[in-house]
Amino acid sequence: MEQAIAGGIQPEGSSAATGTRPGAAVVVDSLVKTFKGDVRALDGVSFEIPTGTVLGLLGPNGAGKTTAVHVLTTLLRPDSGRAWVAGIDVLANPEEARKHMGLAGQFAAVDEGLTGMENLVLVGRLNHLPRPERRRRAAELLEQFDLADSGTRLLKTYSGGMRRRLDLAAALVARPPVLFLDEPTTGLDPRSRIDLWAVIEGLVADGTTLLLTTQYLEEADRLANAICVIDHGRVIAEGTAAELKSRLGGTTVEVVLPDNPTAARALAALEGVGDGDPMVDGLTVRLATTTGLATTSELVRRLEGAGLDVSSLQLRQPSLDEVFLSLTGQEPGRGDGSDGSQ
Amino acid sequence: MSLVALPRGSRVELGIGDTFAMAGRNVRRILRAPDQVVFTLVSPILFTLLFRFVFGGAIRGLGSINYVNYLIPGIAVQTAIFTSSNSGFALADDRGNGFLDRLRSLPMARSAVLIGRVLTDTISNATGLVIIVIVGLAVGFRPHSVPGLVVGFGVLLAFVLATSFLFALVGLYASSSQAVNAATFPVIFPLTFASSAFVPTATMPSWLRAFANHQPVTTVINAVRDLTLGNVTAAQRHQLFAGQSTSTLIIQSLLWTVGIGLVFGYLALRRYNSTNL
Repeated sequence: MEQAIAGGIQPEGSSAATGTRPGAAVVVDSLVKTFKGDVRALDGVSFEIPTGTVLGLLGPNGAGKTTAVHVLTTLLRPDSGRAWVAGIDVLANPEEARKHMGLAGQFAAVDEGLTGMENLVLVGRLNHLPRPERRRRAAELLEQFDLADSGTRLLKTYSGGMRRRLDLAAALVARPPVLFLDEPTTGLDPRSRIDLWAVIEGLVADGTTLLLTTQYLEEADRLANAICVIDHGRVIAEGTAAELKSRLGGTTVEVVLPDNPTAARALAALEGVGDGDPMVDGLTVRLATTTGLATTSELVRRLEGAGLDVSSLQLRQPSLDEVFLSLTGQEPGRGDGSDGSQ
Repeated sequence: MSLVALPRGSRVELGIGDTFAMAGRNVRRILRAPDQVVFTLVSPILFTLLFRFVFGGAIRGLGSINYVNYLIPGIAVQTAIFTSSNSGFALADDRGNGFLDRLRSLPMARSAVLIGRVLTDTISNATGLVIIVIVGLAVGFRPHSVPGLVVGFGVLLAFVLATSFLFALVGLYASSSQAVNAATFPVIFPLTFASSAFVPTATMPSWLRAFANHQPVTTVINAVRDLTLGNVTAAQRHQLFAGQSTSTLIIQSLLWTVGIGLVFGYLALRRYNSTNL
């Protein structure tokens, strides 16, 4: 760990003495974690989350997302590297760090044998809130998460979406400034997912710093200020969703032709239009471009000149899914929902 | 990271509060599922009736001692050991469904989860022993004195508190509660049956007798039995307890208790605290 600092790996603007970094609620520096059988779950991961922002941690199953969250929440000790949450070194002072974080995840870690209210009061008690405050806070959260009517029911009777909301509520009992959500909507139906997104957006609006791991790129696109893509325990891309999309060559002009001979003639006619060679896929011809409108008008002129008709023509941004596919070589959201890191 | 809460400021106080919070949560769950409590007591009651009325008449080597007075301490110890394995099942479940991860991410005393769990088993056991005594009284069990019964059951409760830590350790390694069952049954079964629980060890083949006489469950059963029978003659003491005195039986039981409790308490806490749980 000391070597990492001496070697200058620690980013600029950091204070090596205390590990606190102005403006960053979460700092992860060169984490390495190897599991039995030489699985390198984390292979030198570094990232920062500015206070009050949302970082989406993306990656295929087994990429190391859950392992990174477990290190940050003090559940797992890395082989090397350092990490700070709310300015506290989680490896040197895990007990203090736990006071500043909340964890909610894909497993809805709540007690099936208790009611919603009892679950939240228990978490309040274990967070050492004063007795009257526990009940008040629990009632407030049940209200906020639309569970007030179900507060006295056992969790066994809750739906998956209700359970996940209660799990998130449990993570918020002590109003932690930093929140870790490990695939919070995996396995939820679309309706529950959208409800949970609204709740998460509310938290972020109130200033909570959030680390979100997800397999749903739509979720990252909607919630995250910045995205960090990891694969095989390494960060392979970082930036805003827009920056990542622009990496794929910006806009694509896509023309669908009525039949194969026409497609072949169109391909010839479009020689030199756009950036790089036109690509053909069946009846579809794609042109990558950074100047969408100019390329489109040139394309239309050429096709008109060649007397070719088209079935459809569109200008499109690459989706985050395409970015993900090009970065990792894997389709997102096709796994069983587990990170498989342990 | 310290293994147990150190006495610094109000940390101990907070840790005790956390322990009671966890024990309260466990007890609440048990009260919510009374059918499971009844179920765990069905088998000892059936065993009591079976040995008292079916097999009891055929059991020899007790001299003037009434078999039901011999039997009830054995049933009590066997039941208490089985009950102490609840810690293993409960922790395996909590670990499996992610609840332990939530608890481990909270700023609570980490020892509270284990100690709260073990205390819960002790509460269950104290309740179970009362029921076993009532059933025993109904079928003819007559303890020699109330203080003897209380001290005997105190020795027993301390011992099964220690074995709860052993089962807690199993639960923290097991992949599921079924796996806990698979891992603990082959241990509990020989320890409770190859003991003096149901028959005097003198009737066993010599290799088995050697094991039965020197394993901790026999020692604890004998201590409880000695205290509840009272007035054990020198001949009976030789026959039943290998001639060991009451104080020797109690001290040996307590030594086993402390040894098992310290070793497995330490290992279970270390496992719970391990960052690769």
